[in-house]
Parts: sequence; structure tokens; C-alpha cells
Amino acid sequence: MLSARYYDGRTAVPHTVQLRVCGSVLFLQGDNLERRDALAALSIPAPLGSAPRTILFADGGRCEVEDIQGFAALFPAGPGSNQLEGRWLYAITALVLAAGLAVAAYWWGLPYLARLVADRIPDAVLTDMDGYWLGNLDDSVLGASVLDGARRQAIEQRVADLILPAGAVRPQLVFRGSERLEPNAFALPGGSVVILDGLVEMADEDEIVAVLAHESGHVSQRHALRQLLQASLVGLIVAWYVGDSSSLLAVVPSALLQTRYSRDLERSADEFAIEVMRLNHIPPGRLADLLLKLQARQAQDEAGFVRRLDSVLDYLSSHPASEERIALLRSQSR
Amino acid sequence: MKNRERLQFTGQGGEYFKIWIVNLLLSILTLGIYSAWAKVRRNQYFYRHTRLAGACFDYHGDPKAILKGRIIAVVLVVAYTLAGRFSPLIALAILLLILLVMPWLLKRSLRFRLYNSSYRGLRFAFYGKTGGAYLSWLAWPLASVLSVGLLWPLTQQRIVRYMRDNSAYGNALFRFTAGTGGFYKIYLLVIPMLVAIFVLLLVASQLVIPDDVEQRMAVGGALAGIGTYLGMLIFGYPYVSARLQNLIWNNTQLAGVHRFTSEVKASGLFGIMFSNLILTLLTLGFYKPFADIRLARYRIEHISLIPGADLENIVAGIESQAAATGEEIAEMFDFDIAL
Repeated sequence: MLSARYYDGRTAVPHTVQLRVCGSVLFLQGDNLERRDALAALSIPAPLGSAPRTILFADGGRCEVEDIQGFAALFPAGPGSNQLEGRWLYAITALVLAAGLAVAAYWWGLPYLARLVADRIPDAVLTDMDGYWLGNLDDSVLGASVLDGARRQAIEQRVADLILPAGAVRPQLVFRGSERLEPNAFALPGGSVVILDGLVEMADEDEIVAVLAHESGHVSQRHALRQLLQASLVGLIVAWYVGDSSSLLAVVPSALLQTRYSRDLERSADEFAIEVMRLNHIPPGRLADLLLKLQARQAQDEAGFVRRLDSVLDYLSSHPASEERIALLRSQSR
Repeated sequence: MKNRERLQFTGQGGEYFKIWIVNLLLSILTLGIYSAWAKVRRNQYFYRHTRLAGACFDYHGDPKAILKGRIIAVVLVVAYTLAGRFSPLIALAILLLILLVMPWLLKRSLRFRLYNSSYRGLRFAFYGKTGGAYLSWLAWPLASVLSVGLLWPLTQQRIVRYMRDNSAYGNALFRFTAGTGGFYKIYLLVIPMLVAIFVLLLVASQLVIPDDVEQRMAVGGALAGIGTYLGMLIFGYPYVSARLQNLIWNNTQLAGVHRFTSEVKASGLFGIMFSNLILTLLTLGFYKPFADIRLARYRIEHISLIPGADLENIVAGIESQAAATGEEIAEMFDFDIAL
């Protein structure tokens, strides 16, 4: 005999009843109330912590039982507590496994997945995208290039003659000027590489080729696309994990998590550039030279306060610290 | 107050932690698919540990229906974020699509959630019409945006009124009685607070930033903006959240005679939310289940039911509504958005 509260599913009135199991039948008895049900027709939800146990009848009736031990004794064949949820040992194991899986997914899983998907997106889509991006940039920060025609042709010739590793994409040069952007070169997802006049003016041809080799590494390995896919997934997962109330705060951890991916991609583009420079007999150190020039120029432009702020932010920034990259490139030159 | 019945919450952090970590592990192993089952388990834990007058609530949602909703949500969000990087035009089209279907999805999800909640063997229900959903989740928010937020408290009142006025427990209808004034009053205090934080931070930044920095005002403004945003999250959110909960429950009636009270304190909610945030960050997220339990306990245990008559008499008058909508309910899905 087990004491229970019974609700008939039609009104909210509680009835105090006694439960008894005989063979495969549940007998329920209270004041002016009696029912018998085959155990097979009942739904007995698994226990959940210290909450009362319940029996759900097919017609909407419901029993609530406070005596958890008594309930388990009455229905020895009923669903036991989920073994995994019951013990601390399992919980700790699950904790370690979950943490390990999360780290593995972040370290290898997501980059692998992003690469898999990125490699399967047709070239035509990316080429279309380039035209669109370039149009946008032209409307906002980019202007026409004012480079001297001969210089331009010389660079184009160097790129056309460049020996590339198998499977690499030859960058399509786009010359542009800009008043608002620092001297720079950057790759668009579909294979165009924008090179700004400012960069051409401060670098010699070998250095320019070195930068283009780096950018061509981004293009060949579809970094823009991979970065995009990884960032979206990280954002989605963190938002799901942090959940409802503080989803605004989710932006901070996901932004931090994404920086490692960008660093990896930069490093990988540097390695690609080193290979290209080797193939073309340019010392990899030339890319380092240009990085140093860019750094010196930046230092000149920035006021002390902002520079101090910058060196802190460098830890979080998307490019590996320039010193680290320069060291790598220099070591490859020897 | 006669026969006042306080809601109780009997959930425990350690107990819930074990359920949570198993849910998390299985969700990772199944690449998120199990998360729908995890959500049912989680809801059941919180519902069954919530008690009122000697009986507990229960949750009956079907995980497969939730999975369907989650797939739709993920597809929409991924499509939007991806398109956003490639083509703003397509992204805009997807955003418009999301905005257009959102009220309908929210209405369905509310129906799903209430239909799958029960107390004393009787289900809750939601009768909101599609037109009302579009008014409260599309038209009013749009007006609120166009008015630079001035209509937001009014919008919020319309949303809550739509949700409460169309809810029922068995055959007893809920009624929401608060006008817009109460909602405006909540924000009236928050906005000057945020402005004060911004001005203070701006002044402080001008004192701290050295003279040789160009555009000191702009740099200071940006820093003060970030600070105000953090202030809003850390102080503003618990305050608004506490006042809203009180306003909403203190103006909710059931079957015309029963009332509710809520006595959540902004400072209490702030203390819990802030310490939860710090502890969750320090433990790389593993404090989350304990945090959820603490917050739920504080919010739930400050709500009481004030029966208009003897509780057992009322209870005898509440019956289930005819279950004619069964078939339709079976095909409903939950769109997991916390409201």
C-alpha cells in the first residue's frame, strides 16, 4: 500500500488514495473512488531528483507520490533513475568527457568541418562574391589607383611569371588607392587580391611578391570562407550555451574564441608564402622586411596612448604578433 | 492576506548538475540532436520541482516536436549569418522572412509550451489568434523602432497582455489588468540612470586620458559607451527584469477572482545574476546549472497565489476544457525562443 494524490484529469480536485499492485494490475482506492488499470496501459515517467514520482493514466488521470522509495518498491520493473544522472562518478566522467570533446571540437573539429564545406563551394559563387565585395569597397573606402603604368605592369608580369605550388590559385591583382586605409594588401574570397598604392610605394618588387604570395595562400586555402564558417558556428554554439538571459554577453567569449582561428589562418598563409618564395628564389626574410616597415610606419602614426592600448590588444588580435611572424620568416631564410 | 499560497521550488544545484552534464555530453555526442530531449528533461526538472499548494507542475513536451523547431531556428540563423557576409541583399530578404514568420512561430510555440504544461492533472492552454500575434510581435515592435524606442514600454504591455489574456488553466482564463503607465514607470528610472553612468564615465575618461591623444572626446565617448552598455547589462537588466516580473504577476488574475503577487527585489536579483555571471565565467561555464537553479528559486519563490475564495472550493470549479484540439496540437512545434 502506498499513499498518493490522485487527479482525474477533468477537475483540479485532489483525492487521497492508496495504491496497490497485484500481478499486472494497479488498484487505486480512495473515498468514493476506485479504479484498476493494467500496468501496461500506464505511463510511469522516470524519476527526476527529489521530485514526487508520477503515474500518468491513459485517460488523463494522474497520481503524484511523495514517497520516492515506496514508489520504487511498488514498481520494481518501472523505469529506474537514469543511471548516468544518478551518480557523481558518472557526472564527473561526463564532465571530463564533455570538456575534452568541447576542446577537441574547437581545436580540430570545427576547422576540419569548415574546410570540408569551404572546399565544396563552387568557384563561380566565390567569383560573384568578389565582384560584389569590390563594388562595396569601391563605394566606401577605395579609390582609383594612381600608380605609374610601368610599375603596375612590372608587378603584373612578376605575378604572371610566379611559380606556384600544385593546386594553388594565381591571385588576380586589383590595384586601388585609398586615403583612409593604411598601406595594405588583402585577399577577397574568390581569388582577387586588392593591393593598395600605399603598399606599392613603400615596398620593392620582391617584397610585393612576398605579400602577394601570403595573400595567395589565403586565396588558395579558401581562408575567407573557412573563417566565416568557423565564426558563424562558434557564435551559434556559444549563444546556445550561454542561453537566454545574457545572450548579449555571448559576443565576448565567441569573439575571443575566434581570434585563434584567424591566427592559425595567418600562420598557414605565411607558411604558404614561404613555400612560394622558395620556389621563386626570394628569401622569405623579405616578407619580414616589409612587416617591419609596416610596423615602423604604424608606430609613427599612432600616439603613445593608443600604442600602449594596442600592445595589450595585440594578444587578442587576429594576426599573430608581428614579432612572432618575423621570427618565423627570418628563421626560414637561413 | 487570507490563504495566501506561496510557490515553492525544491530543485537543488547538485542534483540538477548531474542531469545537466549528462544532457550536455549527449548533446555534444549527437551534434546537438539530443538537445531537444535535453530540453524536455530540463523543463521536467524545473516544472516538477515547482510546487503550489501541495501539488507540482509537470511538462509533457514531445522532444521530436522541439527538434523540428530547433532545426528551423538553426537553418534560419545560419542562412542569415552566412548571407550577411556575402550579400546584404539576400541577408535582408532572409531577415524580412524571419520577421514575417516570427509572430506566427512565437504564437505556435506559446501554444505548445502552455498545452504541454500541467498542474493537478489539468493542462494550460493558449488561445491567441494569429492577427493578435502579428500586432504584438510585429506591428507594435515596428512602431517602437520607428519612435526611437519611445513606444517600447507600450509595446511590451501589448505583448504581455496578448500573452496573458489568451492563456488559460483548464477552463479558467487568465486576465492581465496593468495599463501602460506601469511599464513606462519602470523605464523612466532606468534611462536617467544609464545617462548618468555615461556622463560620469565620459568625465572620468577625460581626466584619465593623457593630453597628447588626438580626439580625446571621441575616444572617451567610445569608452563611456562600452561602460554604459556593461552597466545596462549588469545593473539595468536585473532592475528591469525584477520590476517587470512584479508588475506582470501583481496584475494577473485567474478566473476573475484569484490574484497573484510577486515581491522580487531588484537588489536581490542583481546579487544573484551578478554572482552567477562571475562564478560561471570563473568555472568556464560549469557553474551554469547551479546558477540556473538559484535564479529559478529566487524568481519562483517570490510569487504567491491569493485565492479569491477557499482554495479547495475554487479547485473544484476548474475543469479541463474539451480536448477537441488534440489533432492540431499533435502537429505543433516549439520554436525555442525565451520570452
